[in-house]
Amino acid sequence: MSHKLTDGGQVLHVGTLARVEGEGAMHIEIKDGRVKQVQLRIFEPPRFYEAFLRGRAWTEPPDITARICGICPVAYQFSSCLAIEDACGVVVPDAIRTMRRLLYCGEWIESHALHIYLLHAPDFLGYPGAIEMAKDFGPVVERGLRLKKVGNQLMTLVGGRSVHPVNVRLGGFYRMPTVAELHGLRPALERGLEDALETVRLVSTFDFPDMEQPWTYLSLRPEHGYPIESGDVVTSDGTAFDVRDFTAHIKEFHVPHSNALHASLDGGGPYVVGPLARYTLNHDRLSPLAREAAREGGLDVTCRNPFKSIIVRAVELVEIFVEAIRIIDAWQDGVAPSVPVPARAGEGFGATEAPRGVLFHRYRLDADGTILDAQIVPPTSQNQPSIEADLRTLVEQWIELSDHDLSHRCEHAIRNYDPCISCATHFLDLTVERS
Amino acid sequence: MTPSRIVIGLGSPDRGDDAVGPEVARRVAALHLPGVMLVEHEDPTGLIDLWDTVDLAVVVDAVRSGSAAGSLLVVEAGADAGPLADQAWARTGRGGTHAFGLAAAVELARALNRLPRRLVLVGVEATAFEHGTALGAPVVAALDAVVATVVGLVGTATPPTASPQVEGVCRVPG
Repeated sequence: MSHKLTDGGQVLHVGTLARVEGEGAMHIEIKDGRVKQVQLRIFEPPRFYEAFLRGRAWTEPPDITARICGICPVAYQFSSCLAIEDACGVVVPDAIRTMRRLLYCGEWIESHALHIYLLHAPDFLGYPGAIEMAKDFGPVVERGLRLKKVGNQLMTLVGGRSVHPVNVRLGGFYRMPTVAELHGLRPALERGLEDALETVRLVSTFDFPDMEQPWTYLSLRPEHGYPIESGDVVTSDGTAFDVRDFTAHIKEFHVPHSNALHASLDGGGPYVVGPLARYTLNHDRLSPLAREAAREGGLDVTCRNPFKSIIVRAVELVEIFVEAIRIIDAWQDGVAPSVPVPARAGEGFGATEAPRGVLFHRYRLDADGTILDAQIVPPTSQNQPSIEADLRTLVEQWIELSDHDLSHRCEHAIRNYDPCISCATHFLDLTVERS
Repeated sequence: MTPSRIVIGLGSPDRGDDAVGPEVARRVAALHLPGVMLVEHEDPTGLIDLWDTVDLAVVVDAVRSGSAAGSLLVVEAGADAGPLADQAWARTGRGGTHAFGLAAAVELARALNRLPRRLVLVGVEATAFEHGTALGAPVVAALDAVVATVVGLVGTATPPTASPQVEGVCRVPG
């Protein structure tokens, strides 16, 4: 719906932006043929998780914060576990860390398969959504559903539920899956790996707008392997720091048009977290099969085209299936499901790689484990300035397009980030204002 | 052998009125109806795999259509019915898996020719979805009527011809 402004300009309302999580609005103001303002307006009321964590027991955040998101609950569970365990001076054994990594694989599979096939691919193939796409690309959509199902199965086995896992506790798990149970999933994972490789082949044939973004990339980098459940922070500027120093480098700030805090890195401009950053900063950590898939998919060792995030996600799917199969094949029964995490006064920091980027948690505890202070920095919050900056660049390239086409392109560009607005504070109304 | 009738309680068991689907599934399971599979489920994208091999699927879900809290909304949405209007269920689904709700699952299944011949959506008008809260009083008051509606639907369906008896509620991965 559009209407004229009193100064002769025009405002276009295209309703809710489909296929992203959360409620918000994108406001684009064009005057005299130039982009004056781009705002990602997140107007979903804040949910005050950080506030109501205060006064709760140190054992509660993994279950409470998992409810922030139905798509990346594991990210919230494990970032909170790491932070509280850090505060309590506990480092879990490698075997528990490995099982955390396997559960996280399930979440990545669910999230990436959903985004690639049901949310993002329709943009490239010219459909308003997956339902319309399914009429012409039935086997493709079926592959996406099959991939997501494997993720759900892995989450159910290790986490106890495909959504909001209930088997995670501070210090580990309530119960470890057995070798026999894990091997029962192996055929589905092998099929998933083949589907993931086919996904790279499919998405690499899409038509990608020519765009390179200059923003700083930030991701985790562990001692070994691709970053998932742990690691230090590294950036494309060459900076590296311990997660404990996250708040010394990352400053959150409020902007009037968003109920989610924005973030800056060392006082600089936008920075990017998520698949592009992870891939670019950790290409050397990919398995040979994933690296080969990336090469066949047309990716270099770095990727700075945000539209190609769909290829990177597909490569990450390959990586995650390789990793899940590796973990299952090496697993042995007899691992204690958890270690004690006794309360003590202190401050702890934890960060993991949610499917859409780094998720940081900080908690301050008193001696009996009561939470005095909590801070949660979700990936979409960190990506807001770069989403706005991308749109500013793109709208200037596409300024001659009709409002309808411009709106569609902008929605596509926003979905490059797979934003989870409900995590950051729900849906976008897109407003283009021309004067 | 797959039962030819399935009742799916859709929703999160610990998000206020969103728990109405799982709660109804449990109550119907307690009736031990022969040949009826009872499932609690949270992820709409997993529904297609649950219902594409049955003759009749009944999905119970919380819905927000603007009616009075606790009101029932019964919609035929199977392969023999027309497309599901993108209304009440679509709005409820917005808070779920990246906006992929029940309405989207139904229409995606239709596009993929994976709808059961008969699919009935039983909606219960909900008002509150806060985490960790119980069902609201209007929804609790409606439970007997919802269970009776579901039993009526699966009881009037064509009986299974060769299916074993399946009882109890199970959780399945999506």
